Amino acid sequence: MSTIVIGLSLSFLLFLLAAGLTLIFGMLGVINFAHGALYMLGAYVCYQIVHWTGSFWIGLAFAPIVVAALGAAMEVTTLRPVYSRDHIYQLLLTFGFILVIEESVRLIWGLDYKQVPTPALFSQPIAMLGSQIPSYRLFIIGFGALVSALLFLLLDRSRLGMVIRAASSDSEMAQTLGINVSRVRTAVFALGSGLAALGGVVAAPLVPIELGMGFSVIIDCFVVVIIGGLGNIKGAILAALLLGMARAAGFTYAPEWVELITFVLLIVTLMTRPSGLFSRKGRSA
Amino acid sequence: MDRRTFLVSSAGVALVALNPVTGVLAADEPADFHIAGVLAFSGAYGIIGKDMRQGVELAIADRGGKVLGKPIRVSWEDDETKPQPAVQKATRLLAGGAQMMFGAVGSASTLALQGLADQRKIPLLVTISADDKITRPNGSRYTFRTSNTLGMEIRMCVEFAKVKGLKKIYGVTADYQATRDGWELFVAEAKKVGIEIVGNDYAPLGNRDYSVIVDKMAKSDADGIAVMVTGNDAVTFLKQSGQVGLNKTKVQFGPVLQDETLAAAVGPAAVGVYSGVRYHFTVDNPANKKFVEAYRTKYNEWPSSFAGEAYDGISWWLDVVESTKSWDRETWVDAFAKSTRENSLEGKKVMRACDHQAAQVGLWGVVVEGQSPLPPLTMKITDVFDASKLFDAC
Repeated sequence: MSTIVIGLSLSFLLFLLAAGLTLIFGMLGVINFAHGALYMLGAYVCYQIVHWTGSFWIGLAFAPIVVAALGAAMEVTTLRPVYSRDHIYQLLLTFGFILVIEESVRLIWGLDYKQVPTPALFSQPIAMLGSQIPSYRLFIIGFGALVSALLFLLLDRSRLGMVIRAASSDSEMAQTLGINVSRVRTAVFALGSGLAALGGVVAAPLVPIELGMGFSVIIDCFVVVIIGGLGNIKGAILAALLLGMARAAGFTYAPEWVELITFVLLIVTLMTRPSGLFSRKGRSA
Repeated sequence: MDRRTFLVSSAGVALVALNPVTGVLAADEPADFHIAGVLAFSGAYGIIGKDMRQGVELAIADRGGKVLGKPIRVSWEDDETKPQPAVQKATRLLAGGAQMMFGAVGSASTLALQGLADQRKIPLLVTISADDKITRPNGSRYTFRTSNTLGMEIRMCVEFAKVKGLKKIYGVTADYQATRDGWELFVAEAKKVGIEIVGNDYAPLGNRDYSVIVDKMAKSDADGIAVMVTGNDAVTFLKQSGQVGLNKTKVQFGPVLQDETLAAAVGPAAVGVYSGVRYHFTVDNPANKKFVEAYRTKYNEWPSSFAGEAYDGISWWLDVVESTKSWDRETWVDAFAKSTRENSLEGKKVMRACDHQAAQVGLWGVVVEGQSPLPPLTMKITDVFDASKLFDAC
């Protein structure tokens, strides 16, 4: 049973990591290679805030906002002029973001590891189902579920979500109806960047904060996004659950096969349902 | 000059330039002693490259920046911790006249550079990569390692487990060949001294979640946890094992599990973790005290094991080159293969002619809370294992 609890924590961590990537792709059609770099930046900003204030919770609240603001600035100054061009320009641009962000982080924080301690509220393990479960893992499950629910409500049930979807599916029509599409795109990119940073903040007490941390998560993010269906938030949640539980079971019974299990899932998805296991059927008028 | 004369002259010049004998003669009077420094300066291992570079630069400054009466010039290149860029960049530096190579950080890059060293007959000095295959009997004539091997560090683990009285061990091993070999050696040596292995999990390199493995360890009846991972993986494991209090119920140890840099990244959960230590600034001898003082003066920080090993290795090499009074690389190689460093930072080191591996003592320590001016989490050396217990006879 402890495997299920740990699997859930893996799943929601994966979801937090991948949500921003799928959001930006789904709504803007941009494959954001810099997602991992924004995740890393979120962790570093959180470290700085914790260093100044001593509070993880202030870091959790403000680091995503800082990175979201930076994302908005990036979108306005660099991405906006290339939306109308071929996708390759957007790919190259987001790849360039990685280099700029990594060099900036190196200049500001240096090469050595940084550390964010586990918040005191969740520093003790809890005896549960015959195991000692880190209470921080339970926080990840609860927080991840909350973020996924909020995202779902925002995009599928709110007026703002309707505007975003309208701007995404037919930007010219949305513009004609009075929607400021440029502003919507900026908001979506900022939200996606903030979500990447949120993933970095939540992961910070679990992993070392260092320059390569963004690179190591980006593959997992793409796996979740591809299995869930590009741009599909509900699909990303289900894919993260599938992957997280598969990994927890894999580590329990066959740790050497975990990576293989992950990539077999990816290949099977691409071969059988290239648009994602949980993709929605397209509607025609 | 007619066309025929031009072609004949050009062919003659090309032949002279390509001839290895005349090539050596042309290199007899170099303007400087050129070292190709190929390290990781970016990514997760960037900090290791930075520290090694600082160690080398201090060693060169200590000798007035010269060897054999010529200035020492180091060209630094970032191999991005990958073999292919390492070889490409080293090849370019060798084409520019470098007389030796220094590096790399990762063993895969070092093994790639080793091939280049043998092919081009250029000495390669290794001061951090620990894969046992780098120095082996009848191996590379041009490769020398002055730092630890993984094999000796594994033997230190077994010695520690024996001294500590551990009876049952659960292991976690990074899933790549060098650490797999290391784990197999550990199991074989541990069984010889009556230690039972109750479990082991191979985790992917760069694994970010050890929670399931930690849970299995916590539920086992092991009294010791052998952690055969290092770097980021070691930090991740110890942070996550600390969240369930594994450090309070079982002894965690590993061959290269902790130093001051990694302990700072782990935080309080690092306290009480045992590890092999390649070099330490608290080693009590005149050479080390002098080095630590100079390093702190120049860089305002404590020297890491990477900086200490780099300083020690390059100082030894340059002293040997100086003693040969020759610019012939073969003479350097022959001299270094039978040299002894009496005043190394860690005490006496003897270069073994059979495999070009420096025989040396093994340092073992535990993470403790440091008192100022030491780092907040610092290694305390608890054991010094004699070389005779750590190396097979040649």
